[in-house]
Amino acid sequence: MSVATASGYLESLLQGRRQLQASPLAWFDRLRADAVERVGAQRVPTTRNEEWRFTDISPLIKLPFQPVYTASNLQAAEVEHFYLDPAAPRLVFVDGVYAPQLSTQLLNPATDSNVVITNLSAAISAHVMVLEPHLGRYAEFHNNVFTALNTAFLHDGALIIVPRNVSVDMPVHLLFIATQKEATSYPRCLLIAESGSAVTVIEDHVALQEGVYVTNAVAEIALADNARVNHIRVQRDSSQAFHIASCAVSLAQASCYQSTSITLGARISRYNLNVRLTGEGAECTVDGLTLIAERQLADTHTCIDHVKPYGISRQSHKCIVDGAAHAVFNGKIIVHPDAQHTDSTQSSRNLLLSGRAHIDTKPQLEIFADDVKCAHGATVGQLDSEEIFYLMSRGLSEMTARNLLTYAFGAEIIERIPIVSLKHRLEQTVLERTQRN
Amino acid sequence: MSAVLQNLVNQPYKHGFVTEIESDVAPKGLNEGTIRLISAKKNEPEWLLEFRLKAYQKWLTMEAPQWPNIKYPKIDFQAISYYSAPKPRKKLGSMDEVDPELLRTFEKLGVPMHERAVLAGVAVDVIFDSVSVATTYKQKLAEVGIIFGSISEAVHTHPDLVRQYLGTVVPIGDNYYAALNSAVFTDGSFCFIPKGVKCPMDLSTYFRINTQESGQFERTLIIAEEGASVSYLEGCTAPRFDTNQLHAAVVELIAHDNADIKYSTVQNWYAGDENGIGGIFNFVTKRGLAKGVNSRISWTQVETGSAITWKYPSCVLQGDNSVGEFYSVAVTNNYQQADTGTKMIHLGKNTRSTIVSKGISAGHSNNSYRGLVRIAPTAAGARNYSQCDSMLIGDQCSASTFPYIQVRNNSAIVEHEASTSKIGEDQLFYFAQRGISNEEAVSMIINGFCKDVFQQLPMEFAVEATKLLGFKLEGSVG
Repeated sequence: MSVATASGYLESLLQGRRQLQASPLAWFDRLRADAVERVGAQRVPTTRNEEWRFTDISPLIKLPFQPVYTASNLQAAEVEHFYLDPAAPRLVFVDGVYAPQLSTQLLNPATDSNVVITNLSAAISAHVMVLEPHLGRYAEFHNNVFTALNTAFLHDGALIIVPRNVSVDMPVHLLFIATQKEATSYPRCLLIAESGSAVTVIEDHVALQEGVYVTNAVAEIALADNARVNHIRVQRDSSQAFHIASCAVSLAQASCYQSTSITLGARISRYNLNVRLTGEGAECTVDGLTLIAERQLADTHTCIDHVKPYGISRQSHKCIVDGAAHAVFNGKIIVHPDAQHTDSTQSSRNLLLSGRAHIDTKPQLEIFADDVKCAHGATVGQLDSEEIFYLMSRGLSEMTARNLLTYAFGAEIIERIPIVSLKHRLEQTVLERTQRN
Repeated sequence: MSAVLQNLVNQPYKHGFVTEIESDVAPKGLNEGTIRLISAKKNEPEWLLEFRLKAYQKWLTMEAPQWPNIKYPKIDFQAISYYSAPKPRKKLGSMDEVDPELLRTFEKLGVPMHERAVLAGVAVDVIFDSVSVATTYKQKLAEVGIIFGSISEAVHTHPDLVRQYLGTVVPIGDNYYAALNSAVFTDGSFCFIPKGVKCPMDLSTYFRINTQESGQFERTLIIAEEGASVSYLEGCTAPRFDTNQLHAAVVELIAHDNADIKYSTVQNWYAGDENGIGGIFNFVTKRGLAKGVNSRISWTQVETGSAITWKYPSCVLQGDNSVGEFYSVAVTNNYQQADTGTKMIHLGKNTRSTIVSKGISAGHSNNSYRGLVRIAPTAAGARNYSQCDSMLIGDQCSASTFPYIQVRNNSAIVEHEASTSKIGEDQLFYFAQRGISNEEAVSMIINGFCKDVFQQLPMEFAVEATKLLGFKLEGSVG
């Protein structure tokens, strides 16, 4: 990739900002201006960059798609099948634009009166005091050109504020629907969980039809002391789409973050998940399942950063790779000098279903404290022949045994999703994609 | 308790002395002239000079690698003398004729050469700085057709063999320091085991950096023909100096059908003082090519010295059913830095590899394991097992693990495990209960931690390594 075309790509992308309106809030405009500057100072990463070594995103620079600014008139009937059952509070964005006609609040007025679930632009002035210390503070864009781009285009997004000691019973569904080809959308989420609060959020990226488009998503999640957040992320974009996403999570003392990310779609996808345990005794569980086939490429980079003592992290990432697909996993665990008594485990397990599928995995430990328990493991291979034999000895055919074991391999992660309807739908997808006759 | 351990860790380097032997030292600096000088001094054939010059041209276009997890000041390659040889007093016929000064040096190091050679049955190809001065047991080896000696000698006696294999496993442009070595290497060992021969004894060479500010660039080449087998030992100590010394060696191993090469290293070069001043920069390229079917290459290393270690003994498993092994213990203390590991490149069918790496960091040191396991699409049925454990002693040091796993064949099975631990208070308490002092307990725990690797070492090396670790880490736990 030549530098000229790559920087031309960034410039032509930034031209789409002309339609953005200035905000009455000075800090908000400054944040975006900083981001524009950082876009200018960086380049589109190539495979010579260690962080992008296995993921060649050069096809992306031929696609300088502009964002959509007009509201869609999509009707509920067309997208209903994406909704959760039973109905839950929902924010819907179509091609990155908020769709109020599809969104619903559905909160329990008795208990959830102060919970904010709305779009960012509607709430920004009302909640400016709460927002300002958080928005754009976690998703680092100085060394990430895609996060910088998303921040440069920041004008709307999903906003959830859960007040002190409130626990939201129903899961909150954030639905990002792609309908247009040749467009770039910049979904943005901000979740602020105040101390002692609890919430479950589903970040769901779907497509209405096949087509080439680009999604560049950023999510920021801030957990105050003792807060609990369960974050479920499902990426089922079009198999021709490009999906680049970052999620930055900050955990205060004794808070607990649980993440399950399922990657099914996109021609090329990249998900960066950065979890910082900035308070003592914080805890996180980071699970992921990548299920890809044909010529898909799915890259997951996670970084769990233990800054303070007594942190606990558990990570289990699985990839099922079929066809000529390519899965990449890079799981970094950092334990800072102060973070004594950290307890961290990580496993990367990978299943290759075809001769042309391939995987690059790198579970990485960087430890600067001595009194810690850290372990990681990685496996790549096929199904265990002894397990197949065991099932066959119970009268299953080899094919059935293989199908069952492949399904079970993926289902282990999906089972951790607490929403029954979503879980069943995903289990169905795993079944459909892995079963052979 | 910590004071005791401090004392133990901070034992002064025992082998820090300089032997005063008249050295034949080339002027400092690196240019084509230096290379021509080295080549001329060694009376080398034209092809080898061309090999060196080609490597030098390549080196000029390359940049020092930035990716390792180590920090060091930029090396001034013009401030190094690239050739130094002890001046021979006369042609040596037997051990008695070796420079007595030299023999005394070995005595101080605790390596009584003849004793070792005779009692332990080891042939020692002694390398002093860059030129081989004494070779024992040569005759006995020659009887079975084994060629074992210095590489500069082999260039004259067996030019075809050297020419055929030199640079085939580590090409001249492989990496920055390998290119430098290819341009300026002065000496090293050459070993050729002919078809079907099992080497009757462990082969050993003893490296020593002697002249101050002279980088040592050894070149080792070991070839095992069909069905041959050999076990090769390498041990290192260096005198104490305050200026950093660069050491950039290249080791190439070639195993043909059914051949077996075992390469063991105990490295205890000067690591710098407790403030991180001085010490050797050890930037080494070691690679074995398991070329034939059922061939086997096994690396065992105990790395305790050097200010900086940057080394990845690798196996290219080309022959079907070939086996690669890597067993490593890396110990860092004070301000030492180590970025070490291995590469297992699986190309042939049913190739197998095992990696066992134990890293111990103490003081302010930084110890990284960096490994690559690559399964090529052709490597059907390949199998790898890796285990990387780190132990941290003190809260100022760090341990990192960077395992790259790249799999392109779905019939392969790759497993990687890593853990980090410390010597727990409860463990020490348990030992104390049984009347075992903290010092001894630490030594036992560490030896237990490293057992999987030590048992791969030849007996006398295992004893040496156990002792070495003992005094390296004495005083750092508590």
